Amino acid sequence: MTCRLCQEFLDDHASLLQTFGFIKWQKRQICQVCEATFSLIKTGCLGCGRNQDTQQLCYDCQRWQQQGKQLLNHQALYQYNDAMRQFMQQYKFNGDYALRAIFNHELIQKVQTIATDMVVPIPVSQHTMFTRGFNQTTGLIAGIKYQSILQVRTTQKSHQSQFNRQERLTREQIFTVKEGVSLQGKQILLIDDVYTTGNTLFHAADLLYELGAENVKSLSLAR
Amino acid sequence: MKVHYGRQIIQPKIATSSEKFTISPAFIAHVCQRCGQKNNEKLPNNHFYCQACLSLGRVSSHDVLLSYPEPNDFTGEVILSWQGRLTRQQQDVSDELIETLARQREHLIWAVTGAGKTEMLFPVIYQALKQKLRVAIVSPRIDVIVELAPRLRQAFSQTDMVVLHGAQTEDYRYTQLVLATTHQMLRFKSAFDLLIVDEVDSFPYAGDKMLEHAVETARKSHSALIYLSATPTKALQKRVKHHELMASYLPLRFHQHLLPTLNTKIVSDWRKKLPAKFLKQIRQLTQNHGRFLIFVPKVADLKPVFQMIEKHFPDINGAYVHAADPYRQEKVQKMRDEAYQYLVTTTILERGVTFPGIDVLILGADEAIFSENALVQIAGRVGRSKDRPTGLVLAYIQHTTLKIRAAQHQIKQMNRRGKRLGGQ
Ligand SMILES: [Zn+2]
Ligand SMILES: [Zn+2]
Ligand SMILES: [Zn+2]
Repeated sequence: MTCRLCQEFLDDHASLLQTFGFIKWQKRQICQVCEATFSLIKTGCLGCGRNQDTQQLCYDCQRWQQQGKQLLNHQALYQYNDAMRQFMQQYKFNGDYALRAIFNHELIQKVQTIATDMVVPIPVSQHTMFTRGFNQTTGLIAGIKYQSILQVRTTQKSHQSQFNRQERLTREQIFTVKEGVSLQGKQILLIDDVYTTGNTLFHAADLLYELGAENVKSLSLAR
Repeated sequence: MKVHYGRQIIQPKIATSSEKFTISPAFIAHVCQRCGQKNNEKLPNNHFYCQACLSLGRVSSHDVLLSYPEPNDFTGEVILSWQGRLTRQQQDVSDELIETLARQREHLIWAVTGAGKTEMLFPVIYQALKQKLRVAIVSPRIDVIVELAPRLRQAFSQTDMVVLHGAQTEDYRYTQLVLATTHQMLRFKSAFDLLIVDEVDSFPYAGDKMLEHAVETARKSHSALIYLSATPTKALQKRVKHHELMASYLPLRFHQHLLPTLNTKIVSDWRKKLPAKFLKQIRQLTQNHGRFLIFVPKVADLKPVFQMIEKHFPDINGAYVHAADPYRQEKVQKMRDEAYQYLVTTTILERGVTFPGIDVLILGADEAIFSENALVQIAGRVGRSKDRPTGLVLAYIQHTTLKIRAAQHQIKQMNRRGKRLGGQ
């Protein structure tokens, strides 16, 4: 077995306890050198998970609140540093789907610590499915039971002024929800690969709240 | 459009193109049509992608391959600005290559290190360029490409040449002359009339089916193919023996001197403490202002060995360098510029890189990483200049090994043939 990122040979042995199944053995995916280039988020903003010294709401989150948004209590595992940027480049844009295995175990463990009725991944467009061939987010969380209820809206041009505010909000929506899904009173955990501005996740959350969700939280690999 | 001549491009099936490309499937029976390998990784919905050639951009079952024929659309005068003269033996080989080009054959040049291979190639490249043929010179090793680039630019100053390898940022453009790593040939299809593979025996080409496939698809069906090697693989030697491949043999260096011999010194565990013999040798070299390379078996040996040498000789400048070193090119350049008096290195500098007038010390030459051919190549770093055609090749070992003896034997045999041609 070699490191999935640098192809160095992995010197990986199970300990005695692991061999006999007392401790679950997780096969190493990347070498220690590569592992050290990623930077875990230990404390972060309570609203968006941004890496900082305290859990205090950051400036961006205070602004979201002023706009009347319900914060997402977003959590992210890693900082979006150079190593993570390179990983995303290789995984998403070069399309090396095999790399989904690297953070899979950690993400599964994280999801299991969050109370939720429904795990919902952020979708990719049909065009992406026909070119990249996969949804990077569902790849990362493979093994977890999730519901792909969101779809990327196919864009349609229309005269914005004809609609009232409510209608306009729906028009601006980049997602739609599959028909026949009931979200009444549900606690939902949204999952994305990277949290950048928060726009994508707030769009999705707006829609889910509109359809009756009780609470929407979110999680990403990187922030 | 011109930029696509002779190229092979990946495009999603759903994309449309108005250009007149030849469209072909990306996979046939799960075999990747770009690299010829069957090494696929799964995608959702029964789709898949090729892992073997992934580093050059992904080929997946969502894609098709586009190619555009090579029209040899070259204008302008070709000038050979190289002024040097070939030795008798070099001239003979050079003539054989002109013949190879005319007859669109395959040919191996089996030449000792320092035989002046590049100069021997100039006439055949010149001939091809004059005939409006497209020419590629490839090597599996980036170092070889980096060293060749300025020499080719100088020799063919009127001909545009693009240099392609993984560590560089130059954009691709359509040129008559292409200098590239062998990998890059996967991006061409039926493009070259003359293709030259330098250091054909070196990793990762040797035994790599994908790179062999790359060379085969990048050349036109009627084209000439020239291999160069100082230490051909057994497989190539076999093809020569069975007359499937023509070969010319060049056992003598361009300055007509024989190869330096590989000498061994038995020492104790050098990883614990650098042997006194070794330190004494370095002292002698530095007193004579000699410059030298120290080869070690492992990347992990580099730093400790370098630090121990620095402690003993704080006044001389040196560095250590390995394959993945981000400053590799800079350090090699500093050695070339004589800002460094020595480099501690692994086998990455075993070939291609030339520093005139150096000596070579090998620590742990008895360890597995140093194959027979690696040792011959390392010894070949020495005695490369006319002013100093000889030099030291010292292997510090704890036991003698069959590989060391085989390498010594190989050098001796070449020197025996060289002597017959008047070498000394
Ligand atoms: Zn690694
Ligand atoms: Zn925040
Ligand atoms: Zn391939």
